[in-house]
Amino acid sequence: MEAAVHTSGLRRVYRRGRKDPVVALDDLTLTIERNEIHGLLGPNGAGKTTLVKILSTVLLPSGGSARILGHDVVADTRDVRSLIGLVLGGDRGLYDRLSARRNLLFWGALYRLDARTTRERADALLERVGLAERADDRVERFSRGMRQRLHLARGLLHEPRMLFLDEPTSGLDPVAAGAFRRLVLDLRAEGRTFLLATHDMDEATALCDRVTLIDRGRMLLSADTARVGRFLGERECVDFTHPDPSVAEGLALLPDVTGVERRDGAAWRVHTAGRDGSRRVLGWLLDRDVLTARRGEPSLEEVYLRAVGDRGMRV
Amino acid sequence: MSTLRAMWRAVLLQVALSRRAPEHALILLIAPMQTTTMLALTVTSHRPDAVANAVLAPGLIGLWVAALDHAGRIVPEDRWAGRFTPMIAAPVPLGPVVAGRVAMVVLVGAAAFAESWLVAALGFGRVVAVADPALFAVAVAVTCLATIGTATLLSAVLVVSRARDVLQNSLGYPFYILGGILVPVAALPGWLHPFSRVVFLSWSAELLRGAVRGDADAWFRPVAAILGLGAAAMAAGLWLTRRYVDRSRREGMVEFA
Repeated sequence: MEAAVHTSGLRRVYRRGRKDPVVALDDLTLTIERNEIHGLLGPNGAGKTTLVKILSTVLLPSGGSARILGHDVVADTRDVRSLIGLVLGGDRGLYDRLSARRNLLFWGALYRLDARTTRERADALLERVGLAERADDRVERFSRGMRQRLHLARGLLHEPRMLFLDEPTSGLDPVAAGAFRRLVLDLRAEGRTFLLATHDMDEATALCDRVTLIDRGRMLLSADTARVGRFLGERECVDFTHPDPSVAEGLALLPDVTGVERRDGAAWRVHTAGRDGSRRVLGWLLDRDVLTARRGEPSLEEVYLRAVGDRGMRV
Repeated sequence: MSTLRAMWRAVLLQVALSRRAPEHALILLIAPMQTTTMLALTVTSHRPDAVANAVLAPGLIGLWVAALDHAGRIVPEDRWAGRFTPMIAAPVPLGPVVAGRVAMVVLVGAAAFAESWLVAALGFGRVVAVADPALFAVAVAVTCLATIGTATLLSAVLVVSRARDVLQNSLGYPFYILGGILVPVAALPGWLHPFSRVVFLSWSAELLRGAVRGDADAWFRPVAAILGLGAAAMAAGLWLTRRYVDRSRREGMVEFA
């Protein structure tokens, strides 16, 4: 069975007149299996949006190939467009002066749905995303969270098997973001595949089966979200709670400890050089009557920060 | 079939948008004033033979303004509002969707004909009698069709152009003159006539005046010319829109919202 997404040596170069061309994607080979939620991470300018644009057929690659459910995004554009749904974040992208229902009726026609099917699906989707009672209200009166749900409803109108989400919860309050994520998980349970481009590490950790981290157009890692910490080699960490900061100061002097950071209140995280180091740290903590301590791997956010380094403000 | 359905949906979309956007009906405010000005000129200069011209001209100008002004804004507005990307990621091509919306805009412009007639009748007591109503209806219908085709082309040209505002502001009077709207083409210098013949408005203006006077004998030729020029413009507009989308995909001009 063909993968949901497969790219091979994918490359995109932006020409800028007399300036040097910008390589946005460079030799990217990536596979996303069916029914997977795949996170696409990277700093601004890493190439995430370029990849999503190519996969959603709105941008042509400069080299390499990309296939969606077995269809080439360049040669079989029309087939690909019927299989995918594109959900963009933000306030824009809808007809603000029209109602949610009218928006969906128009977009349904763009996906070759007849009027009756569009009406039935629009009603069902508006109900599903919690907008049924506001279906006939103008979109300009919607909150950002409601707009986001309408974006998702639009993306689902033609029942695509593959969905691309670009920063879908950007700017949403925690309750709205949580509801949106639950909806995504429900949709995955129906057999859909998701590619989620995000800056939100908590979101990626909560939703994604696998993540791919790209920077400067190149893939830095692609792994199961739960095991992504292994990409930092032998590094491990130990989490513990203790109200006395002097314990942390003492830990920092141990030879196996590479760093100590305060997490929240009395919670601390100790970074160690490896498994033996973690064992010695745990023993040291037990000797000082620390009752809650556990060994772990670096989080996705830590991996991200180490991989991207200090690129945060640079593009 | 599905493309026609999308076109029809685009018509309905534009109906809904125009109902909520008063600026789309601006031409309907301007047409009575234009009619008043032109009729006042013909009345004070004792030219009863030119009354029909004064009534027909604002109708044709209304169509052209609708085509040039509103139709030219459709794609740029969709682009600015972040709707362009999901549109070109959909299976239905963009061209027919633009054409459907343009059609509705043009029909709003066509209402200027009725307004002008009413202004003449109610404001000046000059009831313009149409000698050949059937031909007049045909002339209005084919003129609207040709305007839809031309507006689709204009929409694409304005999108592709880097000087959209300049073009939009400067394509009014040249076409009013070449189209024989303000004065009949016969009154223009001879060297302008060949240029006039490739502007569908020149055929439309003559046909409409002939229908009002009842002396349009060879109506088939102008009808064919209007439809032919409109169809050619529509084909060119759809082609140019597709080229624009292809270029956007190739050069990376498509932005996410």
